[in-house]
Amino acid sequence: MILTLNRMGRGRFVLYAIAGATSAFLLLPVVFIAFLSFGSSQWLQFPPPGWTLKWYEVLFADPRWLASMLVSLKVGLCVMALSIALGLPAAFAIVRGRFPGRAALHAFFISPMIVPVIILAIALYALILKLGLNGSFLAFVAAHLILALPFSVICIVNSLEGFDISVEKAAIICGATRLQAIRRVTLPAIRLGILSGALFSFLVSWDEVVLSIFMASPGTQTLPVKMWTTLRQDLTPVIAAVSTLLIVMTIAVMLVAAFLRRRIAR
Amino acid sequence: MTSLTKNAVEIHHLVKRFGQVTAVDDVSLSVADGEFLTFLGSSGSGKTSTLFIVAGFEDPTSGSVEIDGRSVLSVPPNERNIGMVFQRYTLFPNMSVRDNIAFPLSVRGRPQNEIDRAVAEMLDMVRLGSYAGRRPSELSGGQQQRVALARALVYRPRLLLMDEPLAALDKRLREDIQQEIRRIHRELGVTILYVTHDQEEALRMSDRIAVFSHGKIAQIGSGSDLYERPANGFVASFVGNSNMLRGRLRGVSERMASVELADGTVLHGLSDANLIHGTQVEIMVRPERLIPSSSRAGDLTSLQSVEGTVIDVSYLGEAVQYEIATRWQQNIVVRNDSRASGLELGASAHFSFHVHDALVFPTQPSAS
Repeated sequence: MILTLNRMGRGRFVLYAIAGATSAFLLLPVVFIAFLSFGSSQWLQFPPPGWTLKWYEVLFADPRWLASMLVSLKVGLCVMALSIALGLPAAFAIVRGRFPGRAALHAFFISPMIVPVIILAIALYALILKLGLNGSFLAFVAAHLILALPFSVICIVNSLEGFDISVEKAAIICGATRLQAIRRVTLPAIRLGILSGALFSFLVSWDEVVLSIFMASPGTQTLPVKMWTTLRQDLTPVIAAVSTLLIVMTIAVMLVAAFLRRRIAR
Repeated sequence: MTSLTKNAVEIHHLVKRFGQVTAVDDVSLSVADGEFLTFLGSSGSGKTSTLFIVAGFEDPTSGSVEIDGRSVLSVPPNERNIGMVFQRYTLFPNMSVRDNIAFPLSVRGRPQNEIDRAVAEMLDMVRLGSYAGRRPSELSGGQQQRVALARALVYRPRLLLMDEPLAALDKRLREDIQQEIRRIHRELGVTILYVTHDQEEALRMSDRIAVFSHGKIAQIGSGSDLYERPANGFVASFVGNSNMLRGRLRGVSERMASVELADGTVLHGLSDANLIHGTQVEIMVRPERLIPSSSRAGDLTSLQSVEGTVIDVSYLGEAVQYEIATRWQQNIVVRNDSRASGLELGASAHFSFHVHDALVFPTQPSAS
């Protein structure tokens, strides 16, 4: 017997309650921080005694906040581009390759997701220090790329595995070179996976904090690092305003992704 | 075929090994210009491997493939000027039907007006003109394969390869598209190499059929060659239905073999093979060549009969099929015009057949 919502009778209200509670649990911190960013209390009092946009004014008046935002954006875009540039050929090798150790290589590319980030951070810190790259743009990008690469590899491997290689063969027998076939047939067919990989890569970089703290210097900070250091000095509602902006940015990226996905799937 | 006809494709001593497995084992054949040749065989018989070597997707271990007298083994698949329709749906999912058909011309850098004209012509040919703007995902399986056919023909390839293109379609649709492929073959005169495991499809469509078994060609010939004069027991049982009566060879004289069945019945049949006295052999008789009669047919020298009891009757519309239990413990199948005979379940009858309709083969090593 199949359990459907209609057959459950009153029992379904229990389901509604559980679903509601789970949603609330996930949403509450987000809503909470958004409320606080508009509250007039200096001490993040809840419920706020009054409403104000003061903290946003302070935020946008401070060039250091904007600078760190810009760093985050640049790093994120670079990571996104490199993650696809490296992830795409890697995915082709994993899916199409016929060589010993293929499965091991696949697991290896995924491993940054499993290795504790703090261990990666310490190892990377030692290396970056030795190379004298700490605080550099390159260090941020390299560090984030390690975490982002598994996402693009997973996304592209999945869509490439779902793509029938006969279609590419058909393009070749039609007269296309292998490169033409990949560019005009295979890549468009797996573009949803590439897009997902790109967005995940950007988001991984955008809110990465552990590695970034190790890579950062007082001069160059990404937004999450700037938040972290500010937070350590004093608990200002500006943090709430920044957090709200971060959340809005993330939601915007997800909406764009959903929109593109729908257009592609059409 | 006359000797003047030039061959489009020549395959000589083709061998393909995958590790320990020999997928194609010394295959040689030639395809005449404009011929419709079918590779018929079960899966793993080497038919698809041979086709993929012709296409250029696989390299042979040894042997040669020539198109119009020139070896193509060093030519990459995209430069062989071959069209191909695959078993699976291989339309480009991101392109409309029109763009799919235009693709081969577009990668060849043909001018747009020429492309438009050729695409329109092909859409007409497969009768899908009104679907030009659709995406492949909006088409049925049969429509997708017709578009694939148009795409494979739009650049007027020297040779068209078809790898079980209709395997995924249901029977009715399959027959419609078989007709359509036949018509297109007639209209364009393109040389076709067609792969199928469906013997009915092979018989219906082909000029000639190459029957593949274990990487070798068991026989190559027209449909009636294979059906009336199978070269061996494998072809006899693979092409069409057949009764294979097991027995022991008693003697051969002038192509006429006498075989003794388990119960002592002696039957006669034609044989081309080198048969050894006393060995196990099989007599092949087609179900429709067995004619029921009430009495023994022993008077005429060319007519012989077997006796049995009807244990099953199946009405098939145009024919009735009987399953007959014989005295030598082997059931045989008889198929007759449904109006002609009216045998009932449990009835005992004689089934006569002409000696020329009985063929004697050595027993196959792995009889299935």
